[in-house]
Amino acid sequence: MLSYFIRRVVGTVPVIFMISLFVFLLLHAAPGDPADLLIPDQASAEDIADARRRWGLDQPVLVQYWRFLVSAVSLDFGRSFKYDEPVLALIMQRFPATLELALIATVLAIMIGIPLGIFASSRPNSWFDNASSLGGFFGVSMPNFWMAIMLILIVSGYFNLLPSGGRATFGVAEDPITGFLILDSIIQQDWVGLADGAKFLVLPAIVLSVNMTGLLMRMTRSSMLEVLSEDYIMTARAKGLSERVVVWRHALKNARIMVITVVGLEFGALISGSIIVESVFSWPGIGQLLLQGITARDYPLITGLVLVYTTLFIVVNLIVDFLYAAADPRIRLGG
Amino acid sequence: MSARTLTPLATAVIGALAAGGLTLATSASAQAQQRTRVTAAVTETIASVNPYADSVSLMYAIYSQTYGSLVDWSFEKGGYISRFADSWSNPDKTTWVFKLKPGLKRNNGEPVVAADFVHSINRAMNDPQTKQKHNVRWIVAMETPDERTLIIKTSEPVAPMLENLSRVIVTSKAQFDKLGAAADKDAPVGAGPYAIKQIAVDNFLAMTKVPDHPDVKPENPDEIIFRIMKEPESRVTALLNGEIQIAQFIPPQLVPRVQGSSVASIVWEDAVELMFLAMSPEHKPWDKKEVRQAVAYAIDRDALIKVLLAGQGTRLDGPIGPGQFAYDKDLQPRYTYNPAKARELLKQAGYPNGVEIDFYATVGRYIADKQICEAIVPMLEAVGFKVNLKTPEWGTMWANVQKGGTPFYYMGRGSVIDPSAALSQYFETGQSPRIKFSNKEVDAALRAEREEFDEGKRIALMRRAMSVITEEAPAHFMWRHKMATGVANNVVFKPQPTMDINGIDIMMKPRARATK
Repeated sequence: MLSYFIRRVVGTVPVIFMISLFVFLLLHAAPGDPADLLIPDQASAEDIADARRRWGLDQPVLVQYWRFLVSAVSLDFGRSFKYDEPVLALIMQRFPATLELALIATVLAIMIGIPLGIFASSRPNSWFDNASSLGGFFGVSMPNFWMAIMLILIVSGYFNLLPSGGRATFGVAEDPITGFLILDSIIQQDWVGLADGAKFLVLPAIVLSVNMTGLLMRMTRSSMLEVLSEDYIMTARAKGLSERVVVWRHALKNARIMVITVVGLEFGALISGSIIVESVFSWPGIGQLLLQGITARDYPLITGLVLVYTTLFIVVNLIVDFLYAAADPRIRLGG
Repeated sequence: MSARTLTPLATAVIGALAAGGLTLATSASAQAQQRTRVTAAVTETIASVNPYADSVSLMYAIYSQTYGSLVDWSFEKGGYISRFADSWSNPDKTTWVFKLKPGLKRNNGEPVVAADFVHSINRAMNDPQTKQKHNVRWIVAMETPDERTLIIKTSEPVAPMLENLSRVIVTSKAQFDKLGAAADKDAPVGAGPYAIKQIAVDNFLAMTKVPDHPDVKPENPDEIIFRIMKEPESRVTALLNGEIQIAQFIPPQLVPRVQGSSVASIVWEDAVELMFLAMSPEHKPWDKKEVRQAVAYAIDRDALIKVLLAGQGTRLDGPIGPGQFAYDKDLQPRYTYNPAKARELLKQAGYPNGVEIDFYATVGRYIADKQICEAIVPMLEAVGFKVNLKTPEWGTMWANVQKGGTPFYYMGRGSVIDPSAALSQYFETGQSPRIKFSNKEVDAALRAEREEFDEGKRIALMRRAMSVITEEAPAHFMWRHKMATGVANNVVFKPQPTMDINGIDIMMKPRARATK
């Protein structure tokens, strides 16, 4: 298992390298110049040229890339053109907000999608199955942006139940420790801060979880249907085991590989796909940061964020691989 | 366990989060509301805690009311005022002498001395993070013969220098000497009516009232939070459900929602942003004045304002409008909607069968920009232009404009109070490649107005330049937007024409104050 782990980690190096090169070249090939976008409208041509020099943009692209690469090895992605702060520091400031949102969304999706899929599969073609399948289809095909706006209009606007955006009410929570507001509030036993943070989390977490919930429901249902038609399930039923034991102990165990795959892939997608949700809900995470970076052609920031997203995806996939082995003893990672 | 029990269990998680959030947070906000607080939703970025590292109007306005700037434009008085200087004079055309008020103090009691201004100008010029060099580019030397006198020398006569100096944020030299760059974060001590409490970059900024400051009144809110909310739908919803009290830039389609509510209303203000169509004479067919004028006659601006801007615009007859320096209500020539004349001008220019043009529109940068440009296309085609409408992403378009590669485009120029810099930037030979217009008379008038310190003569020169620019039509001036700001009923607020949100312009109504 260790050798597998080392092989996988070593294997990620060329992937990250290729992605960094691709992103770097693509960014420089794209029209638009950071100096034009970030230096004020009233600046002189000399001011713009000066900024280009300061940011190294007067150097050939390959020289710029080489400098970036050398620094990136020591996790120094350079300084953001827009914010003039180290890119890594900016990412670390915002990452907890995104991760917190993605985790809550994933928990919601698991708690709703998997049970719905299981119950739907255990009563195929019943009204419950049809309704759940319709709900699942709705969730999978629902555009995030539209749903976010609708929830803001209805839940925040019409019923005035939850805030329409932001992450916390100013001055309510204690000073952060980890940057995860919910966790910090629990550590500090700040229940008012916890409630305040939760209130802001609900709508974006629901929006972010809807696609994953739908997908999980549908995948769980189809996996379970396949497993429930196996001979050993028939044997279990013939032995007189209760339907609860058949479904939850015997069938679910064999359907969980598919569930792990979907959760793993979708979790990675949630983190990278939170850009729209963060933007609509003014959620101060790395999705918004990326959007700002792209608008400003902030090359170091965009490249740094893409590398972080890539690494996260790889890490999540690696964890999924290990979970496969834990879930199914027939899978040998060392092989 | 059955579906009846498990599914409600899952949904209960959401319910618990929401309900728990609601109950506990109600008491949380009750606690937070002990002091009067106004939250304003803004659309620009908050990119840094360094007051020199940003150049967006939101941050200039915030720093101006916290740190303070050397001078400020007063729309009420129609001239510059200063919280720091008693007077200023020009012994010669390249020297500015400021006599500072006696006993100036920051909010922590620290004195404000002439050396602070030198320090501040130096930071605007040389700070590693500065994005404000352009404000001080003409300054070549500074002297402080005593603690109350500041002498600034410029490389050439710059009559509109006060406009530049209004953007110089005055920070403390003593704090910087003590703390270095950390002073911006750890000791943002200023002399304004509000003090910075916290800045969360690209998220929010909180400031608190300085109770004993001479500019503040008891009605001004104790705290003001600027929250970045880029989505107009979110801003309006937050305004209507009481999360915020001021919402900037309500687009026309959402104005009726606010107007129809019982908790907020719309306040209108003519913004000092000029919207125009630029036509670069470097590119054919825009090298012919008749073609440029044909565009001016072909477009029915009143109809566009009425229909697409829902009346939220004031037509510009010339580069600037009322309230802006050197505005002339009788400026000539004037372009009225006249398609027949436009067709005739195209013929005169040698295009009797029309001419093909590319028209570049911004998307989502200005109010209804794409829709406006789409509506302009048939107007132009009706007089003989064959229009290819292009809608590149802003970064691409702006880079091309900056390089002079965009022949015909819709654009805005913001924060124009004294139009000298804007006119020079777009219409003076060699100043920028954005239009590449060149006219000796305009150049001479603009140069002369910059060197003319007599206000009457300067206004006359500027009006002459504006008249020639309007006649030559390298740009067709469209309108200034009437900006809609949503304001909750428990506060009274009217933004400045620059759309700045100043704490001292916000008043809590009596019932809101009673929560104190």
